[in-house]
Amino acid sequence: MHIPDGFLDLPLSALTYALAAASIGLAVYLLEKKGVNESRIPLLGVLAAAIFAAQMLNWPIPGGTSAHFVGSGVAAILLGPLQAILVMTSILAVQTLVFGDGGLTALGANILNMGVVGVIAAYLIYTLLARRSRVAAAFLAGWFGAVSAALACGLEIGSSSIFAYNIWVTVPVMFIWHALLGIVEGFVTSATVAFLLKSRPELLVGEVKIS
Amino acid sequence: MKRAFFIVAALIILTPLFAYAAELVGYSEPLENIASNLGVEETPFYKGILPDYTIGGLDPYIGTLISAVIGSALVFLLVYGVSHIMRR
Repeated sequence: MHIPDGFLDLPLSALTYALAAASIGLAVYLLEKKGVNESRIPLLGVLAAAIFAAQMLNWPIPGGTSAHFVGSGVAAILLGPLQAILVMTSILAVQTLVFGDGGLTALGANILNMGVVGVIAAYLIYTLLARRSRVAAAFLAGWFGAVSAALACGLEIGSSSIFAYNIWVTVPVMFIWHALLGIVEGFVTSATVAFLLKSRPELLVGEVKIS
Repeated sequence: MKRAFFIVAALIILTPLFAYAAELVGYSEPLENIASNLGVEETPFYKGILPDYTIGGLDPYIGTLISAVIGSALVFLLVYGVSHIMRR
């Protein structure tokens, strides 16, 4: 889902950079006001590293269309939306600048999709449904996180003058594929939450107030 | 915390295995497929320091493994540093 260089035209590149920068700025402003709990900082770093490494595991689905874990849902559930935005932004920045995964002109869009839209969608779904079942809520949050990021991506490439087809083609195609591939994202997200509920439940109550 | 580092290490060790499996099935993502159906080409004017998670001159699987170590470490340091500035 990482958009490479050459897919977005200049106005879209500028717009998505501006929206991503505004989101990061707001997240930093709100976090600075509250302050990051010092004892949680190592955990933040490790979780970010784990999501980076997990994204490198490409699920080999035979038949030509595959995907890898995104992690917007896991980050949103464990860290809350503000820290998740910063963690996903850091991961995407390293992927783009060091490994050329995602284009430099599309970094704003990729941060907007996977780091902001996916995170907020996953967080909303989880907070709405976690009361009923945290594991089921995590599955849906993971799915929505990946699918909403894909929808945003479809919207961007469909609006780009470089793509011959408009959003009425790109959005449904991105939706259908990621609705299927998102099931794996949902499973990984709910398995992570189920594992932490059993072994380290204190990690889960940091941001989301359930009762 | 020790266990968390262990999990990251386990994920890193798995990366060459998944890279091999992806090679076997001809890994390609929906976005790439849509683009190639439409005849849109990537124009990568910036390829990164370690393009595609490989290290020039090294075996691609070893390159992937080392890339995973470097990338995870960089992400850890970046998030640690930024959070440290905002600590309370």
